[in-house]
Amino acid sequence: MIEFKAISKKWPDGTAALSDVNVTIPKGQFCVILGPSGAGKSTLLRAVNGLMQPTNGEVVIDGVTLTSATARTLRQRVAMIHQHFNLTLRMSVAANVLAGLLPVVSTGRAILGWFTPEHRAKACALLERVGLTPKHVQRRAGELSGGQQQRVGVARAFMLDPEVVLADEPVASLDPKISREILSLIRDAARERNATVLCSLHQVDLAREFGDRIVGMRDGRIVFDGTPEEFTDERVEALYHGAQWEDHPATEVEAELDALQPQLVAA
Amino acid sequence: MDIKPIPVPAQGTTLDWHLDQPYRAKHLLLLIILLAVLLFTGHRTEMDKMVVMTGQAVGNVVGLADDSQVVRGLSRVGESMWPPALGTEEEVARLTDLDRNNLPFLASIKTHERVEQKLNTDTLQLEEQREQVEVLVKPLGYLWMVFIKMLETIEIAIWGTLFSVVLSIPLAWYAARNYTYNKFTYTLARGTISLLRSMPELIVALFLVLAYGFGPIAGVLALGLHAAGFLGKFYAEDIENADKKPQEALEAIGAGKLKTLWYGVMPQVVPQYIAYTLYILDRNVRMATVIGLVGAGGIGQELKGRFDMFQYDHVATILIAIFIVVFLLDQFSARLRAKLI
Repeated sequence: MIEFKAISKKWPDGTAALSDVNVTIPKGQFCVILGPSGAGKSTLLRAVNGLMQPTNGEVVIDGVTLTSATARTLRQRVAMIHQHFNLTLRMSVAANVLAGLLPVVSTGRAILGWFTPEHRAKACALLERVGLTPKHVQRRAGELSGGQQQRVGVARAFMLDPEVVLADEPVASLDPKISREILSLIRDAARERNATVLCSLHQVDLAREFGDRIVGMRDGRIVFDGTPEEFTDERVEALYHGAQWEDHPATEVEAELDALQPQLVAA
Repeated sequence: MDIKPIPVPAQGTTLDWHLDQPYRAKHLLLLIILLAVLLFTGHRTEMDKMVVMTGQAVGNVVGLADDSQVVRGLSRVGESMWPPALGTEEEVARLTDLDRNNLPFLASIKTHERVEQKLNTDTLQLEEQREQVEVLVKPLGYLWMVFIKMLETIEIAIWGTLFSVVLSIPLAWYAARNYTYNKFTYTLARGTISLLRSMPELIVALFLVLAYGFGPIAGVLALGLHAAGFLGKFYAEDIENADKKPQEALEAIGAGKLKTLWYGVMPQVVPQYIAYTLYILDRNVRMATVIGLVGAGGIGQELKGRFDMFQYDHVATILIAIFIVVFLLDQFSARLRAKLI
């Protein structure tokens, strides 16, 4: 269970990224966060593992408040899947997946790359689970396609059997078919472990398909919170209409257009 | 996200678009000042004289000018350098453990007649004295000696490089802004790097020869210390400039700094590290020949000795040897780089 208690974040230049966000996400839920670019989706996700320090408020995970003292142990229970996969491209697929174990592996073993047979077996099992083949194991991560890289990212995220999975626009740069596959992988792997998933997305159709719950954000505030059935086309229009902020347009305009697709079809 | 978005202005606002030329009058002024400075310093460094002398030399070569100081100097050196020395001659009388029936490989004993002018103390007249001297001639003896010295030089360079790599790794860790512990360790590491880099090998070797005596120890330490500053700076800057995304992924699960560096940064920077290290090895081989001049071992020490005794034919052999080694090393490091990157 993740509780956001009155989270606010102000950047040093005075921009309010989050203003008084209160949400509770029960254990095992697949919660999708939707909203225009710059709404504060990533910022909210980052509050869970302490990559972002909120100006006010606190995050409580299974009853433990995230502070600098508890961050180290909490982070091991919170996995993260990234928009740009964030793999070490010049390292093998195997090493990238095994890197997901780094918090629990001794420094000596980590530096020598001398992982235990159980750990290596687990890495192989997860790679198979995400749909890769033994041929991929020793390939450099940078040689794989985007979809395959995100599969490696998913495998890495589940190496520590996390209780919470944060997925920050995990399919923003992937085609619709692969996007579905990746989201299915995340959802199914999380269900097997009864892990809570917090996933930010730009695609409304995917959000409706995969989310147990949809949280809509706009200008750092929660403007919608409900089931996919309640998230009607009018709500979509209200969420995205007249969005005021636009950041890195080159990478996100496409995703944004994707997100608007259902509306255009409806209209 | 730490990228600050640019607010989209309200509809209907008149926007002021302008795209200026990249140059203005002040750029022309700067160009004129730059030219003036170049002319001034050119005169101070005798660049004008250099042009005149070189012109004379070219004229002399094609037969237009009668005399050229440059050509005279160069031809004098050239004559005494050619042919390069290959063999050695040693007086048999001075060799205590020579076995005449079992001479070294390719060696032979020859007899020279030595003519000496001696003052006869009775007549107070100079008299010619003829003396038969036996010498042991090794036709490739000097080449072998240069080979051994060159090997020593390469060994000094390799050990100097090893020393600098080992020393620069902790320096790079503390000097990388995103991995150092605090401002103090950062400043200390950057200061050490600047200090090491600011001391030329030749000067360091000079002092280390005083401390450790003549020989390779001073050479290895001098090369290692200077290169550690160089490598520390470049390793640290590579760590700082490495792609942040994999580091963020590992930081997010609480992997710790050292493991993040090893898995998130090292694989990215290894090709660059190898390139820098090979460059340092290449540079150390060249520098190892130079620091021998102050007695820090290797071929440089031999070069200095021969130069001081005006044995330019021996100097020529050494210079050719250095050229061959640097050339081969270049080929080797290019191949190694291509293979590893």
